[in-house]
Amino acid sequence: MKKMEKTASLSRRKFIAGAGALSGLLLTGCDTDIYLPPKIRGGLMGVADVLTMASQRFLLSDQALVQEHDVSEITKNFPVWNQANPDDEEFQRLLRGGFQEWKLPVGGLVNRPLSLSLEALKRLPRRTQITSHICEQGWSAIAQWSGAPLLQVLQAAGGVTAEARYVVIDTVDGWYEAYDMFDVVHPQTILAYGMNGKDLPLGNGAPVRLRVERHCGYKNLKFVKSIQVVASVEEIRGGTGGINSDNDWHWYAGA
Amino acid sequence: MKNTASVQEPKKWIYRHSYNARICHWIVVISFAYLVVSGVNIFLDFPELYWGKVGFQGYPAVFKLSDWGISWEEAGAMGNRRWGRNYHFLFAWVFVINGFIYLSWNLWRKQFYRKMLPRRDELSLRHLKLEVINHLRFRRPRGDAARGYNVLQKLSYLLVLFLLFPFMILSGLAQMPAFTAISPELIDLFGGRQTARTLHVVVTVVLVLFVIIHVIEVFVLGVVNGMRSMITGKYVLPEEEQEQEQEAT
Repeated sequence: MKKMEKTASLSRRKFIAGAGALSGLLLTGCDTDIYLPPKIRGGLMGVADVLTMASQRFLLSDQALVQEHDVSEITKNFPVWNQANPDDEEFQRLLRGGFQEWKLPVGGLVNRPLSLSLEALKRLPRRTQITSHICEQGWSAIAQWSGAPLLQVLQAAGGVTAEARYVVIDTVDGWYEAYDMFDVVHPQTILAYGMNGKDLPLGNGAPVRLRVERHCGYKNLKFVKSIQVVASVEEIRGGTGGINSDNDWHWYAGA
Repeated sequence: MKNTASVQEPKKWIYRHSYNARICHWIVVISFAYLVVSGVNIFLDFPELYWGKVGFQGYPAVFKLSDWGISWEEAGAMGNRRWGRNYHFLFAWVFVINGFIYLSWNLWRKQFYRKMLPRRDELSLRHLKLEVINHLRFRRPRGDAARGYNVLQKLSYLLVLFLLFPFMILSGLAQMPAFTAISPELIDLFGGRQTARTLHVVVTVVLVLFVIIHVIEVFVLGVVNGMRSMITGKYVLPEEEQEQEQEAT
């Protein structure tokens, strides 16, 4: 318990220092729009969405870490759910080559757009966490995830510009989700390339998946393809900031 | 003696339910109905229950709908999870806000103390036994004895309001991923989110049983009088047994 508190405060300090290096991030962090989804649904459903998100974000405002488990609690056969192996020519080619040629473009409103190889991603500061994966369907399982904090990836790209509001992640199988800066700067928001001490298995989203621990499974995208920083999500596909909310699911998946 | 009715024993009207109680009651009816139906829709898409911190398809389950003749696919086809999730969280808010207004108003007006707290003599074993027997024989208090709630009513209302409803809210919150950061203690309190999910379903069944008995009681006591009192507040005291002869026409 003591040990956990120590790591918590340590990463909090790191977070503040890190966020300071990213122009704009702290500003958006204090903004009222951390309480609102990018596009509010009409009617009572929108009222309920705002109540849920605002109340939870208020309770989360100290950016507390999610519960981390003991190694002994790791689930033996972690389920492979939904997409297990994307039927995409380019992806299959990269898979055959052991993802040696895999590249992660980081673009949009960053100061130094870049493309990261898996090796380069692994050279960034690493964070390892044993957490619960919670599916909105009702199942949950525990695994150890290792990866680079999303904040570090954006820092590697020179930080974000002052207009930056959302980080949009696209996947190989056509999914996409937008994350506001409140979730982006959270220390446990990582691009995971390792699971339970090994490379991320194919069925769990190889080579890299997102861990955004305070959200349901459907925000934790597998098979990450690209990262783009934007000021608004209005022009992207359905305009709601994610494939799930485009299809009338909750954008904010903390509940 | 202007009309025939006044010749007979006049009806005894009492004002039984306050404004607040009546409005909140019907909001609970609507939101509880939506919560149950949407909850069933969510459940049907993953029709297994587990115990502890983790649980998924293939993990030892404490309840499987497939054991009851409905396969995973059939259950999934019956439920609409997206509709279920949207409406479950909408009516959870209606339920919580309504409950907050109801509880604070009634605590402030000391209504729980006056109407629902059983008196000492009501809690004696003899009295409780008598009430249970009366209920099983469908015999209900009449006349002045019907002014307030009987002891079984009082106890069941207190149980639902102060134990089961809060339990549903807490076990619901304990399933939310954000609460692993907001309050991991809440999840540990239940012994894991899967246990919280299972108990959420179990207590739903208990509450549905309560509703069924509650509705049966309304019919036993007189559905017109009961509904009228919950809508307008006015309640006619059932006449004493010995004066049961019909009113003259």
